[in-house]
Amino acid sequence: MVWTGWVNETRLAARSIAAYATDWVNPTLRLGVTGLSRSGKTVFITALVHGLLTASRWPVFEPQAQGRIARVRLEPQPDDGIPRFPYEDHLATLTGPRDWPEGTKRISEIRLAIDFASNTGFMRGTEKTLTLDIVDYPGEWLLDLPLLAQSYAEWSRRSVEAARRPPRAALAQEWLAATAEIDPFGKADETEARRLADKFTRYLKSCRDERVSLSTLPPGRFLLPGEMEGSPALTFAPLDLGSREPAGDSLAALMDKRFESYKRLVVMPFYANHFATLDRQVVLVDALAALNAGPAALSDLELALSDVLTAFRPGANSILSSLLARRIDRILFAATKADHLHQTSHDRLEGLLRRLTDRAIRRAEFAGARVEPIALASLRATRETTVTQRGQSLACIVGTPMPGEQAGGEIFDGLREVAVFPGELPLDPTGLFAGPEAFRGEDYRFVRFLPPKADPSQALPHIRLDRAVEFLIGDRLA
Amino acid sequence: MSKAPTPKPQVFRLDSDAVEIAPPSDAPVEDRRPEAVIAAEAAAPPAGASLWTRLFWVGLGGLVSLAFGIAVSTLIDDLFTRAAWLGWAGVAALVLFLVGGLALLGREIFALRSLARLDTLRERAVQALLDKDDRAAARVAGDLLAAMAGNARTARGRIAVQAAFAEGVVDGAQRLRIVERELLEPLDREATRLVAEAARRVSVVTAVSPRAAVDLAMVFATAVRLIRRIAEVYGGRPGTLGMFKLVRHVLAHMAVTGGMAAGDTVLDQIVGHGLAARLSAKLGEGVLNGLLTARLGITAIAISRPLPYIGAPRPDVRDLVGDAISLRGDP
Repeated sequence: MVWTGWVNETRLAARSIAAYATDWVNPTLRLGVTGLSRSGKTVFITALVHGLLTASRWPVFEPQAQGRIARVRLEPQPDDGIPRFPYEDHLATLTGPRDWPEGTKRISEIRLAIDFASNTGFMRGTEKTLTLDIVDYPGEWLLDLPLLAQSYAEWSRRSVEAARRPPRAALAQEWLAATAEIDPFGKADETEARRLADKFTRYLKSCRDERVSLSTLPPGRFLLPGEMEGSPALTFAPLDLGSREPAGDSLAALMDKRFESYKRLVVMPFYANHFATLDRQVVLVDALAALNAGPAALSDLELALSDVLTAFRPGANSILSSLLARRIDRILFAATKADHLHQTSHDRLEGLLRRLTDRAIRRAEFAGARVEPIALASLRATRETTVTQRGQSLACIVGTPMPGEQAGGEIFDGLREVAVFPGELPLDPTGLFAGPEAFRGEDYRFVRFLPPKADPSQALPHIRLDRAVEFLIGDRLA
Repeated sequence: MSKAPTPKPQVFRLDSDAVEIAPPSDAPVEDRRPEAVIAAEAAAPPAGASLWTRLFWVGLGGLVSLAFGIAVSTLIDDLFTRAAWLGWAGVAALVLFLVGGLALLGREIFALRSLARLDTLRERAVQALLDKDDRAAARVAGDLLAAMAGNARTARGRIAVQAAFAEGVVDGAQRLRIVERELLEPLDREATRLVAEAARRVSVVTAVSPRAAVDLAMVFATAVRLIRRIAEVYGGRPGTLGMFKLVRHVLAHMAVTGGMAAGDTVLDQIVGHGLAARLSAKLGEGVLNGLLTARLGITAIAISRPLPYIGAPRPDVRDLVGDAISLRGDP
């Protein structure tokens, strides 16, 4: 919290006093949904909103199961400056042409009002309304928050060091060569700066490729620039400065200035306007994609997750602390796409997630927040079966693979259902983190499936979405 | 896992002939019960008595049964010496006595076992929740569902639980909560109502009864009846021995938790007692007895309930007594 400075803290405090007063009359819960790209944020929110709106039978979600929720309705989105989460479009994409929706490229928000009957305390039986704001933002933006505490020189040194290590070295070759050619303390030149920034961005983008699937890639806005594309605040790159400080009108000084602008124009507003106002947070993690890509991607994911968590202000909200500044008091880590495994393997996926987020969990619990890791599938694309082959029975999943997916020497056409035995995750996930040879020849390949055939007016199939919802909002509907 | 190499990921066509594919479903997988667990559950709890105590009881028991046997056999001999028909009548009475005694004994043993089963279920549930052992919790939920099948009051709840489980993947801890919500919460309400009723009756009778001996008998009778009825609500059918055991449990439990319970309600008791005593000493006594009965009832619920409190509200002495006092005027 050092970097935010006291001005900002004061502003946040003032705002949360206001929020507290409003809360008294009309409780509001701001739920942040994040995760690195392709982790399933959009599908999660779509399924969550759909489930609440259609009053799906969610046995684990207590208020619903007890019949205390009278009505759930969509409300106009409160912030006029932020796009609304296009729930209807995403639902139509999922259930109509059976496509996975476009990913999150920027922040968006959707508001639900839940009318429910209270069952505790003085207010027992009275009808109340909880306003639920769901805020969707790319997890890459969270990776920017640690930048606030770094100087340009420090960030440069770290980025260059990371780029020289495998598996990044191969991808960063071109950019590193270009950086080596120029003199960082020579005269500033806009063309040069743009060329470097361009090469740097391309290197970052190549790291996100499915085959390597790396995660720790700040600055996040380089990957998802949005409306700021091409602006000077996004036209910089780390330089190999050695131990000198940027000075004068050198290229390094120009980059330094732009780095600071990036922090001021991009990172700070996100932190103050969105991030610091959240009450609950969901972090979605696609552990299976990292397994697909290999040990380096897995340990990179671990690093990214612990970076993400340094950004949170976890802790229990007492009356006093919630007056001073809101804190996130519950964090849900969800390993998505659990439907790619048979349910007998789910606890192993959960074990892997627990291992990935271990440090983060301990830190958050120490601060008084509740953290729960869950393996879930917001929209369940597969069913389960057993295949008996030569007397051995295998726990398999059945679904329609995406067109163009390959497995077992076959390329799928996206029409036929097949049964897939996804392999087994190890009982103890620690072994997977033991260095580059950690997988010991085990090749994890999880086939991607098409969304299930579903009727948008009915409940959608899911795995443990109800447990996630109970953890996130159940206690506020008491 | 230890046997053979782990099988490689594979893809099977659904129309393939080489393998056999079960029809796909969304249904949750039943957890198989490992043998080790059954063995561990079946193991009897270690005997508590010392060697000398056991010797004493064995000896005494032997002597008493010998004395009884001789008394009966001499009686029947005697009867035969008087008249043959009298002897046969004595034999017939003896047979009736034995048959009846065996039946009673069988019933007692059965009742004790059903109580013990609910006890073990609760202990296992507590342990599973403490260890965050999902599979164990799922097994407890399954066993509880089976144990509750004999309880007619839970028919509707059992159907609701089965429907909830069929809805998709539900983990052990959540299964326990669903079972608690659908099966036990209605029973909780019933049991709490019984306690409130008993507390009310005790406080009224104490307030109006002319003699201390009458209240004492009344309070005692009500307490015993309350414990039995609560055990029945949760599906235990305590016989006489079972009742002894239950009462002992309740008293032990109250001795342990009494201090704590007194801690949070002692103020109410003193204030209530003091205030009421000013109106009438007798009325104050009534309130106090009502409170004690309520607390006894809550303890009885806690030890008869086959699950710990997971998400359901714990009944509170204050709520119950509030009921008892405010409802006193009601018909």
